[in-house]
Amino acid sequence: MSGPAPVVDAARLADDLDAPPRGRRRERGALWAWVVVIIAITYFIVPLISTLEFSLRAAVKDPVTGEFIRPSLQAYTLVFNDPKFIDALLYSFRMALVTIAVSLLLLVPTAFWVRLKLPRLRPVVELVTLMPFVIPPVILVFGLIRTYSGQPFAIISTPLGADAVLVGAYVVLSFPYMYRAVDTGLASIDLRSLTEAAQSMGAGWPRILWSVIFPNLRSALLSGAFLTLAIVIGEYTIANFLVGTKPFGPYLSLLGQNKAYEPAAVSLISFGITWAAMLMILIVGRGGGRGRAPVTGAR
Amino acid sequence: MGLTRSTSLALVGAAALVASSVPAFAQSPSAPAASMAAPMTMDQLVAAAQAEGMLTTIALPDDWCNYREMIDTFKAKYGIEVNELDPNAGSNDELEAIKANIGNTGPQAPDVIDVGLSFGPQAKGEDLLMPYKVATWDDIPDEVKDPDGYWWGDYYGVLTFEVNKAVVPNSPADWSDLLKPEYANQIALAGDPRSSNQAIQAVYAAGLANGGTLDDAADAGLAFWKSVVDAGNFVPVVAKPGTIAQGETPITIRWNYNALSNRDALAGNPEIDVVVPASGRFAGVYVQGISAYAPHPNAAKLWQEFLYSDEGQLIWMKGYCYPIRYQAMLEAGTIPQELLDALPDVSGAVFPTLAQLDAAKATITEQWDTVVGADVVDGG
Amino acid sequence: MTVKATTAGIPGASPASRRFSWNWLGVVPFFAFAIAFMFLPITFLVVGSFQSAGQWTLANYIGLGDAYIQTAYRNSIILSAITAIGGGILGFLIAAALVLGRLPRALTAGMLTFSGVASNFAGVPLALAFVFTIGNNGLLTKLLDEHLGINIVTQAGFSLYSILGLAIVYMYFQLPLMILIIVPAIEGLRKDWREAALNLGATPRQYWRSIALPILMPTILGTIILLFGNAFGAQATAFQLTGGTIPIAPVVIGTQIRGDVLRNPGLGYAMAMGMVVIMGISIGLYSLLQRRAERWLRS
Repeated sequence: MSGPAPVVDAARLADDLDAPPRGRRRERGALWAWVVVIIAITYFIVPLISTLEFSLRAAVKDPVTGEFIRPSLQAYTLVFNDPKFIDALLYSFRMALVTIAVSLLLLVPTAFWVRLKLPRLRPVVELVTLMPFVIPPVILVFGLIRTYSGQPFAIISTPLGADAVLVGAYVVLSFPYMYRAVDTGLASIDLRSLTEAAQSMGAGWPRILWSVIFPNLRSALLSGAFLTLAIVIGEYTIANFLVGTKPFGPYLSLLGQNKAYEPAAVSLISFGITWAAMLMILIVGRGGGRGRAPVTGAR
Repeated sequence: MGLTRSTSLALVGAAALVASSVPAFAQSPSAPAASMAAPMTMDQLVAAAQAEGMLTTIALPDDWCNYREMIDTFKAKYGIEVNELDPNAGSNDELEAIKANIGNTGPQAPDVIDVGLSFGPQAKGEDLLMPYKVATWDDIPDEVKDPDGYWWGDYYGVLTFEVNKAVVPNSPADWSDLLKPEYANQIALAGDPRSSNQAIQAVYAAGLANGGTLDDAADAGLAFWKSVVDAGNFVPVVAKPGTIAQGETPITIRWNYNALSNRDALAGNPEIDVVVPASGRFAGVYVQGISAYAPHPNAAKLWQEFLYSDEGQLIWMKGYCYPIRYQAMLEAGTIPQELLDALPDVSGAVFPTLAQLDAAKATITEQWDTVVGADVVDGG
Repeated sequence: MTVKATTAGIPGASPASRRFSWNWLGVVPFFAFAIAFMFLPITFLVVGSFQSAGQWTLANYIGLGDAYIQTAYRNSIILSAITAIGGGILGFLIAAALVLGRLPRALTAGMLTFSGVASNFAGVPLALAFVFTIGNNGLLTKLLDEHLGINIVTQAGFSLYSILGLAIVYMYFQLPLMILIIVPAIEGLRKDWREAALNLGATPRQYWRSIALPILMPTILGTIILLFGNAFGAQATAFQLTGGTIPIAPVVIGTQIRGDVLRNPGLGYAMAMGMVVIMGISIGLYSLLQRRAERWLRS
């Protein structure tokens, strides 16, 4: 189960070689999968349907009959009529891309290094990556403001400085998810063999990371990217206290504040947009081809 | 541009003090800017504020006492930009925001705060406020302002039952009605009685209605709410306009101004009834303050002058809040009749003192769990 | 990451002291970032936990022994453990169905991206979605009552506002998290291993029990701990649903450090430190299990 492997998608080869006859085997293998997935879909969809149903209750009175016209998209027009909608969305997307990039550049080498060279440090690193879960966001943001507004790091009074600190906060929030995703990906490949093989061909560490490790982690990195995107789009507390209503999270939240039906519409819109964004990333990230990462090297 | 020399010197001196203050992590702030220098005329103040160009507020929701109109009118009138920080912040958050931004003159630092009554003295004690007396200072009752001018009352309201008529055809008329079996799983608070002013006062008001005096209503209130929970009438969800409209929290205890503005916003979809309970009425007061570290102190002062002008006070009244100068304006005849008619009848409402409120809060926040929550804790 | 390979890339061959110092350099960026954007900002939390009304004191930590706070911790741990393990098992099932179930590609892509969004769909919108579905006045509650005559609230005594209810709601973001992280790992299972096992006479169940699951176990454990942390720190959802009537650690912390009442922030900070300790203990336990699970993999 070891030894340097040819850079061939062996899994794909095996797949083709033993491609099952269409029909019987295909369906038999999938029945349990369908059952599981349908139950899961039901669980996830029903609360969204309730939210949708509620959001459609917002209505205007028909001036003639005095009756309410239902169902109505009244709650949705509030959001789409607002010009700042697109600005907020684009701002958050930009921040998300930067956050994902920083997070990847920071955590992939770290996870790689820890697995390869410092395995005893793993629990420490994992604890650090899980710490963001137990820090209340309002504490983190006030702490960031304190740290970066006085001497010697007085940067948040400028827009760029505030944005930079916000990215830093987002990256910290993404730690648990990104690290776990990356670590999972690294667990699935034979790290030592790959590294040794690359080193024996003369590659330095940056080259190893860039040309060997990153490509093999594609699927895992996509997962991490999704999770980070969701966090950045939805985050409210830290973004609000640092940069106000520029980002999507605070903007949407303020739009629906203290109203009855609009928050439901707003959360569904946010859901839909984030989902669409992830689908786009998925298509781009997987190159539209087969989803399997080119796993090289047997374990 | 209109700043007197002494004011400029005072401001420069204050800036130097703040700039040379202890590092950012320090919890105890250095001496705040003094601002009781020679008072400016209104024109000078307007000019100085416009020179600053911006005002940063915090915790001012759009439909809380009609703040949306207040802010928009201020912006249009003086051409000053208003940067609104988290409208959903609680009073504690507002103080924390001042503390965290001590060295910061950026847009993250609040200039003015609007907090619960007990937070006025608290903020003053922590040196977070700048003293200032608006032109109409004398119209503000003494019980709700600091004699040195560090904080002063802004508006008050009474607690009401906001009832979703589509779900509850017979509205309760008084606190004792809340125990009736027809209201099973229907009664909710708009917050957590251990941390939300609105919820705590709901307990206090219930106590007043059930034999408590201003000094010991807390205990009576806790006992009352325990009976509500035991009767199975309490639903623990934090009530919001959404949950009221949907019917999960069809009877919610809220300040009259919140309930009435929600009723207007829903415009009959569904039909809302706002009931002022027959007994247990008391006025919940909020107070204004200017941050000692305000990046835009003149804009802050102009804002205060605006709030306490007749125009500002009437805007608050349009939001169904009783402005603090209500009595004086009533006597002067400056309140339009329609506004007077739109306000609910709150005769018999009492004004507890700060000491009574603090004592009640301490009791309620500490004992809510043991007295009332005991049965609900082990749920599921 | 400009660490030169001091040896010919063969681990373990270089003098211990020299390798030690160079290797630590690899994790410096990570720790520097964590210090800059997490540890520095929360110094005032740590310092504040030792203070009360401006005085240095241990009273806050002693106060952690209060029965109410102990209950809060206990409830949090139970809720987090249930949703972590339950979410882990069910999430794994769904992930397996998606990867191995030969389902349509579009469905798999859709569910993966949906998981990305749902993983962060927590807080007030999620709580309200479930209130609108299975609350006392919820859509599903009323449907079941009117059409099937079953009232889950009055007859079955079900309450959404209980630990059980919270667990059901938490699954909404726990399951997607598990799915997203585990899918790459399951994808990494080589098809030829299954073929080889079957050819050697193993049943599919034996293949899973003796090969696939042991290989995946370290990753599964790691993700379960992630789910635990995720649930442990969740505050907004629980607060919206229960208004603080069920003591949960993050909610209790919230009442101390936020809100409209003058509480004891020092106690809140001490509680947050307590959460860090609990997280640390969990990591410790998980590391032990992890090491045992990985033992046989180190061939």
